[in-house]
Amino acid sequence: MTPKNNIVIGIVVGLVLVASYNVEANPLEFVEGLPNLGIILEEILVLENIIDNMKYVPSALLAMLETLQMAFIGTVIGVVIGLPFSMLAARNLNSKFIYAPIRILLAIIRTFPSILWAMLFVIVVGLGPFAGVLAIILYTIGFVTKLQFESIETIDSDPMDAVGSIGVSKFQLIRYVVIPEAASHLLGQMLYMFDYNVRQSTILGIVGAGGIGFFIIQYIRFFEYGKAAVYLFVVLIVVLGIEWISVKIRDKYIVKSQHGMEVTKK
Amino acid sequence: MTRANKTRDSGIETIQMTQNPSFSLISTNKIIQMSDVSTSYDSKNYALEKINLSIDRGTNYAIVGQSGSGKSTLLKLMNGMMNPSGGTIKIDYIAPNMNNKKFKKMMHTIGYIPQSLGLVKNITVLDNILIGALPRLNKVQSFFKKFPEYEITEAKRIISLVGLTGKENRKAYMLSGGEKRRVAIARALMQKPTILLADEIVSELDHVTAKEIMDLIADAQKRMNLTAIMVHHDMQLALEYANRVAVIKEGQKILEIGVEGDTIVDFQTGDMTTEEIMEMHADDTKK
Repeated sequence: MTPKNNIVIGIVVGLVLVASYNVEANPLEFVEGLPNLGIILEEILVLENIIDNMKYVPSALLAMLETLQMAFIGTVIGVVIGLPFSMLAARNLNSKFIYAPIRILLAIIRTFPSILWAMLFVIVVGLGPFAGVLAIILYTIGFVTKLQFESIETIDSDPMDAVGSIGVSKFQLIRYVVIPEAASHLLGQMLYMFDYNVRQSTILGIVGAGGIGFFIIQYIRFFEYGKAAVYLFVVLIVVLGIEWISVKIRDKYIVKSQHGMEVTKK
Repeated sequence: MTRANKTRDSGIETIQMTQNPSFSLISTNKIIQMSDVSTSYDSKNYALEKINLSIDRGTNYAIVGQSGSGKSTLLKLMNGMMNPSGGTIKIDYIAPNMNNKKFKKMMHTIGYIPQSLGLVKNITVLDNILIGALPRLNKVQSFFKKFPEYEITEAKRIISLVGLTGKENRKAYMLSGGEKRRVAIARALMQKPTILLADEIVSELDHVTAKEIMDLIADAQKRMNLTAIMVHHDMQLALEYANRVAVIKEGQKILEIGVEGDTIVDFQTGDMTTEEIMEMHADDTKK
C-alpha cells in the first residue's frame, strides 16, 4: 500500500470519528440498550401473544392493500407524466435550451424525499392516503425521469439516424424509434419504481398520509409491539413477494430482450 | 507508376465521354451533382476533398474504397446528415440540408441503409417496414399508430418481394444477418424512393447471401427505376452489379469507371479491362 493510500485511509477514518462524536454515536449505549430489544422480542415471540395477535392479520392485509394501491396509482401516474419530461430532458433529442431547464426542474423535485412531499400534501389535502398518492406521484416524476432520460441517451443512435434521415417528425421519431428502443429499460424502471414506492408508502403513514405505516407508528407509540410486529410481518411478506415477481418479469421479458435474445414463452 | 496514380495525376474528372455514348456525363437527367465537395470531422483533416460526381437518374452507382477512405461520409452528404465545408451538392437540384424546407419535403424519396442497418430491434419486421410510410401519415394516424390499410397491404407486398413472408411478426433482433438486411431494404422501398443509398450492405455476409441481397437490390432498382448508390469495399462485387464505379482513396476520388457487360471505360484514361481495374485496385489496397 502506498503512503498516498495510507493518508487517504487516515483522512476517512478521522472524518468517521469526528462525525461519530458530533452525532454522539456511542457503541456502549448500544450494548447497554440491547436488553430492551429482548423485552420487545419477548412480547412479540411469546406463542400466546402470537396467537392473540393473529386476529390483526386481516386488518393488516387491508392496510397493506391500501398501501399497494397508493404505490400503484402513484407509480403509474408518475411514470405517465414523467415520460414526456424524460423525452424533453434527453440530450440526444433536444437542444441545451430545452433539456437544461427541464433537468433543473426535475432535480428540484428530486431533492425532497417523498415523506417531505407527503407532509406538504397533508397540509394541502388533509390526512389520508390521497396525500400519500400525491407525494408518490411527485417523487416518481423526479426520480423515474432521471432513470429514463439516462436510458434514452444510451439507446443506439443508428436507428434514430436512419429513420431521422427519411424526414419523419420529432414526435414520430420518439413514438416509433425511441420508445420501442428504450421500452425494456422503461418497463424495468417502472417495476423498480413500483417496488421502491411500495416501501416508501409504508412509511408515509408516519406523517398521516395513509397506508399501513399509519397503523405501525400508532402501535409503536402505544408500546403495542406485538400488534406492530404483525403489520411489519405483512409488509415483509408482501415486499418480498413483489420483489420475487419483479425478478421473474425482468428475467422473462426484459433481460433477454435487452441482450437481443429470443424470448420464449413457457 | 500505376494506372491509379496516372488517373489521380490527371486531375478532376473530365466532363466529356469517350467511346461509349451510354456513359455520357453530358445529360440533363442528373439526379446527384457534386462539385468540388470537401468536408471534415475535425476541421483539420479532410474526410473528403474536392469530390466531383455526377450521377444519372436510374444509375446503379458503386463507391469503392478502403475503410476510412470517406465512402460513408459521401453517402451522409447526399442525404443531408452531414453538410459539406466546401463545394456544392444538388440532389434533384436541391441542396441536401436538413434546415432546407425543400429538402425536408423530399427526404422521404431518399432511402438510406446505413452499415449498421438502423433497424428498431424491439419491434416486428412489419412495424420496421411500415416506418418507411411514416412521412405519409398525418398526426392523428401517427399518434395512434393507425396505418391505412393500403399501406399495410403495400408493406406485405414488399415483405413478399424481399422474401420474408411468414416472418412479419418476428422481432427484428430475432432475425439472421441476411434477414435483417432484407428488412432494411424493405423499409427503404416502403418509402417509395427515387434514390437508394446503401452503405456496405453485404459486408460480413457469406458469398451466397451477399449475392442474394445484391440481386434483390438490382431487381428493385430495375422495377422502380431507382438510382442506387452503394458503398462497397469489394471491387469485384461493384463491377458485377454497378453501371458506374467511383474509387475513393484518402478522401479523394482517384478513379471513375463505367461498366456495361464486359466493357469497362475509364473516364479519364480510356478503355480498360476488368483485369486491369482489379489489378489497379489490388495495387491500391497494398499501399
